[in-house]
Amino acid sequence: MTRSLISSLKAGPPPPRVVLLPDALFFVRAIPVPRDATPPEIASQVELALETLSPFPPAQLYHGYYWRPGGERALVYAAYRRRFTTEQADAWQNAELVIPAFASVLGGNGNRNTTIVLPSAEGLTAIYWDDQAVPARVAFRPVPPDALEADVTRLREELLVAAPRNKTIVLDAEPLAESSSGDDEMTFRIGSMDSRLPVAQTASMDVRDKEALANLRRSRRRDLVLWRTFLGLVAALVLLGLAELALIGADFWQRTRIARANEQRPLVERIMTAQTLTTRINELSTKRLLPFEMIAFLNNHRPAEVVFRRVSTVGLHAIRVEAYTSAFPAVSTFESALKALPECERVELTVLPGGDNLMTFELTATFRPDALKPDPNP
Amino acid sequence: MKTLKAFFLGRLLREKALLVLFFVLGVAMWGSNFVKRASREWASIRSTTTELNTQAQWLANRERIETASVEAVQNLDPARTFDHTRLVGELSSLARENNLRFTNDTPQTVRSGQFAVHTVQIQLPRADWEALKRFYVALARRSPYIGIEQFALAADRGNPAQLNASLRILSVEIVR
Repeated sequence: MTRSLISSLKAGPPPPRVVLLPDALFFVRAIPVPRDATPPEIASQVELALETLSPFPPAQLYHGYYWRPGGERALVYAAYRRRFTTEQADAWQNAELVIPAFASVLGGNGNRNTTIVLPSAEGLTAIYWDDQAVPARVAFRPVPPDALEADVTRLREELLVAAPRNKTIVLDAEPLAESSSGDDEMTFRIGSMDSRLPVAQTASMDVRDKEALANLRRSRRRDLVLWRTFLGLVAALVLLGLAELALIGADFWQRTRIARANEQRPLVERIMTAQTLTTRINELSTKRLLPFEMIAFLNNHRPAEVVFRRVSTVGLHAIRVEAYTSAFPAVSTFESALKALPECERVELTVLPGGDNLMTFELTATFRPDALKPDPNP
Repeated sequence: MKTLKAFFLGRLLREKALLVLFFVLGVAMWGSNFVKRASREWASIRSTTTELNTQAQWLANRERIETASVEAVQNLDPARTFDHTRLVGELSSLARENNLRFTNDTPQTVRSGQFAVHTVQIQLPRADWEALKRFYVALARRSPYIGIEQFALAADRGNPAQLNASLRILSVEIVR
């Protein structure tokens, strides 16, 4: 499969699978249609015309038609199904388009008032245009395999005589499907002439069973969804690849940053330590912790009923006291007294679980900086 | 691209579905793995950015901090500073002078350039208030070479008239 993929990619896109059926097997008629008819209306008119024109019901025919929006004519062609073997019909299943050979020429530009003569193994087909975009008539002349060049020329002249005022194009090669530049048209090369048929138009030109064609279109839509999903996934993989490259770049950049941070860290830690120690030394010189002064201050404002059990300093300017009392109002008196003092910035009181008719509480008093002075005899 | 498209569309339906499934799995596995690694890398980048910014701030203030550090110790007499041994000895001596029991933990030292700060936790169990005050006053006279960093006092459970004191003391040592 790998080799097959590589060789396929090297070979370029293959031409579309188009089956061109012998013109000899088809009868062709141009039928008038209203200019403003819609495609479904045209399709039903074609069915009606076939019922009238053909000795066989449409269900027994392979048929299609060529019509241009806004045109006043549709070119209808049909072939009796039994003229094709089951093997032939089965071979069409995977084809993108199945049309009579002459229909491949219909996409040429500037064919008005022109007669195109198209050769094939079975004979010559002449397509006659008048002033409309859809041909007015198609004629076929069989050429026996052992026919001389003079016979062929005579037959060609016979075909051209039918429209003597038309410009004549005599093609010398059979049509070949080519890969086109876009997905919206199908290209045929017939000798030096190009014919481009819009894909939307080929749906009505295809002679296969219309239900089978509908199934084919559904499977094509499903394949297209799969292809677009596949493309999206490939794009995601490409993006992931690019993102991986970016991540590798970011990782490399990050490594240099980490190396720089590691290199600077000892120096920064030294600076941080110096800063911390400087702060502590400055605090030693200028901001002494004054625990006894704080205790003395609280003690001076303590109601007689309150007994201190435990004290501890909190930072440089606060002290936490655990105390108890049997006179409950003394607690709020103590708290209020402290809060009223200018030296106290904040006083917080928490009642602790207790018993034996004692209230145990914790009081944290925060002093304003410089509110207390060192006392030589606290 | 047209060739690849033709190749893809030319496969059987099960081959197309398998190809898509294979690529879905590939993208999902690679994508989830990539997201995890990218998240880790992003977190690492952010952390390093923060650290580098912090380092840059400290480095920008290096001169000021070093100057402040020199200024902080320039008024101190190196002969009166205490290393950790002298600190413990001094505290023990002060406690003995004030009839206080004395225990201490292992001193901790932090050094920076020309000076060091020693910290020691001491306990003065079952002390009376007046003795503790005298100890405190004596300690205060050694400021700023010795200072109290943290202080806690509690009534002794056995004898509430006595107090258990716990102090974290620090001293400065100038190394020249």
